[in-house]
Amino acid sequence: MPIPRRAAAATVPLLVSALTLTACGSGGTDSGGGDAGGKPEGDITFQTWNLRSNFKDYFTGLVAEFEKANPGVRVKWLDQPADNYADKLSADAAAGTLPDVVNVSPDLSYPLAKAGLLMNLDKEPAAAEFKGEYTPEAWQGNALPGLGGSYSFPWYLNTGPLFYNKALFRQAGLDPEKPPKNYGELFAAARTIAERSGGRTATLGGTPAVEDFGRYGVRLMNGDATRFTYNEPKGVELLTEYKKLYDLGGLDPQSLTNTPDKTGQKFLEQKVAMNPGSAHDLENFKKNAPGLYRELGITDAPNNTGKPNMYVMGLGVSSRSKHKAAAVAFARFVTDRKNQEAFAHKVAVFPSTKGSLDDPYWTKDDGTDEGRVRVASAKMLKGAVNYTPVVLSEEMKTVLKNEVAKALQGKKTPQRALDDAVAQSDKLLKQG
Amino acid sequence: MKHVRTHRAASPWLFLLPGLATVTAFSLYPFLTTLHKAFTDALTLTPGAWVGLRNFRDMAHDEQFWVALRNSGLYVVLVVPFTVLLPLLLALLVQKRIPGVTFFRSAFYTPVVASSVVVALIWGWMLDDRGLVNGILRVLGAGPFAFLGDEWLLLFSAMALTVWKGLGYYMVIYLAALAHVPRELYEAAAVDGAGALRRFTAVTVPAVRSTMALVGALSSVAAFKVFSEVFLLAGPTGGPAGQDTTLVMLVQRTGTGLNGRVGYSSALSLVVFAVALLLMLLVLRADRTRRPE
Repeated sequence: MPIPRRAAAATVPLLVSALTLTACGSGGTDSGGGDAGGKPEGDITFQTWNLRSNFKDYFTGLVAEFEKANPGVRVKWLDQPADNYADKLSADAAAGTLPDVVNVSPDLSYPLAKAGLLMNLDKEPAAAEFKGEYTPEAWQGNALPGLGGSYSFPWYLNTGPLFYNKALFRQAGLDPEKPPKNYGELFAAARTIAERSGGRTATLGGTPAVEDFGRYGVRLMNGDATRFTYNEPKGVELLTEYKKLYDLGGLDPQSLTNTPDKTGQKFLEQKVAMNPGSAHDLENFKKNAPGLYRELGITDAPNNTGKPNMYVMGLGVSSRSKHKAAAVAFARFVTDRKNQEAFAHKVAVFPSTKGSLDDPYWTKDDGTDEGRVRVASAKMLKGAVNYTPVVLSEEMKTVLKNEVAKALQGKKTPQRALDDAVAQSDKLLKQG
Repeated sequence: MKHVRTHRAASPWLFLLPGLATVTAFSLYPFLTTLHKAFTDALTLTPGAWVGLRNFRDMAHDEQFWVALRNSGLYVVLVVPFTVLLPLLLALLVQKRIPGVTFFRSAFYTPVVASSVVVALIWGWMLDDRGLVNGILRVLGAGPFAFLGDEWLLLFSAMALTVWKGLGYYMVIYLAALAHVPRELYEAAAVDGAGALRRFTAVTVPAVRSTMALVGALSSVAAFKVFSEVFLLAGPTGGPAGQDTTLVMLVQRTGTGLNGRVGYSSALSLVVFAVALLLMLLVLRADRTRRPE
């Protein structure tokens, strides 16, 4: 029976739409191809996180060098802006187009690995054989709890010094050459600054984040990372101290909502006396706040554990890569000692390869501020740990920040606020 | 010609095809997907299983949801009267043919075309505890006020920004409506001794009532779905202790990122959709019942 013309006409747009739509979800369940231990060949994609604008030449050269050494491989370099990187990754992952080699931090690699989208390097002999080239801390920093291994090649590390304004210290009668080293000294200095300035000068621009709880010596999670524990008495003690400080004016009035960018801006405007940062900031201070730069003090972030905080970057390999051997070879190439050290000479980050930090570049102060920060940071990195639990999602960070805010406002006791934050985060952890 | 006649039935559909395909791909399909996901425990990277009404039950016990619903509701109640009345008054002002009025029309419209992000950043600087507004207030012997630190001041500041940014847009809609009000009505009212206020209530308002209903409906939905102004002024946590979170901010917070709770976020989106639809229908119905037969 012929189909009536009218019905056929009505069907056309629906059919076209249906085809368009089904195309959106064709990620498939392809588990990739190729043997990771075979000969590197094929076209692969490599995605970095906000590095093109400043390091285009470095990465173009790196890709060319790799392609020259591996004639059968072609690398397409992609770069994504800093903002919403996790959303970009999730869109790629959902569409089945996760790049073969992808720049991730442990908290980003965790959900990807959990969904089976990243290669377990410890279980892949072709990748595991390079484990000894990296420092144990860095390799361990990329290990994911409950997932039985490490899912990214360790790349660059960073740790932040704490900047302080010597002029504001002097005005408060504090010795600008003796900045606080631990949380007790920090609270004492902040109290003095608040009292002497009549509450006009705050010491810190933000509220305590999870790294602060870690550096204070609070146990953040249980051993198998299935439950948060930062509501233990030590955590409550830290929050109680912050509450006293907030009431005194030791924290910026907008500290409950300030983002790191905003606190950085307030430090630049000399509205707060101390702010965590990185060596990147020095250039910014020099250019935009020369008055502050002249009075700039640099010290380690306050610490009660003796182990500083470290930020870890890695390169994951997609488990669905069609050219796993090429992807593994390239990820290892980018993160090998020579290339990591070369990259760390271009920007204030630190290599995660064994022995690199013993190089005079990271041990001898050349007399410049940059050199001083570099050597101090490199020294801190030895024995540093990544305090941020890899299972801590953005939503859990918001939960903690909001519950901390309620305690500081006096709407909840510190104990109740942390209990609630832990309960909500545990619930989210179970759902994830 | 023969060819065209043969496909006469198909021709309208062919013309409609690009529009239909776009609407289907970018509106209908996402809507249906959202509808389905709302009843699952889907995460960003896992499709999830059917959980019935669990997401809606969770919502009822979610403190943040009630805070967000309160804020979005307050936004409608407090913003809409201003976005309905102020643009009408502005339109009446710039409707007059006086020298330089074109400049004012453009100036009032400028916030509409300005980027929300830039505008919110400027407002953020002005409302900072040591910003321009507090500086002026200090000179006058008042303040400082924690516009960006107090949950209520922050929400009211975001509302003021929304009203200010929307004035020009709704003003243009009113200008079009006012152009159709016969001059004779004003002249007759003036002859009868009506003053400016009386002319406004007896001539202008009845003449543009349908437009007011339209502006009311549009601004109600926009106010209920507010995101950027509050997000940019209050920060990603939704103000101090999250007390300025709006429903769309909650949708964004719970549903995005690699750990996004897509199922729960979709359920929240459905609530936003249902309430926005209800608001629009209520406003339009109110206009219909008031209109004389």
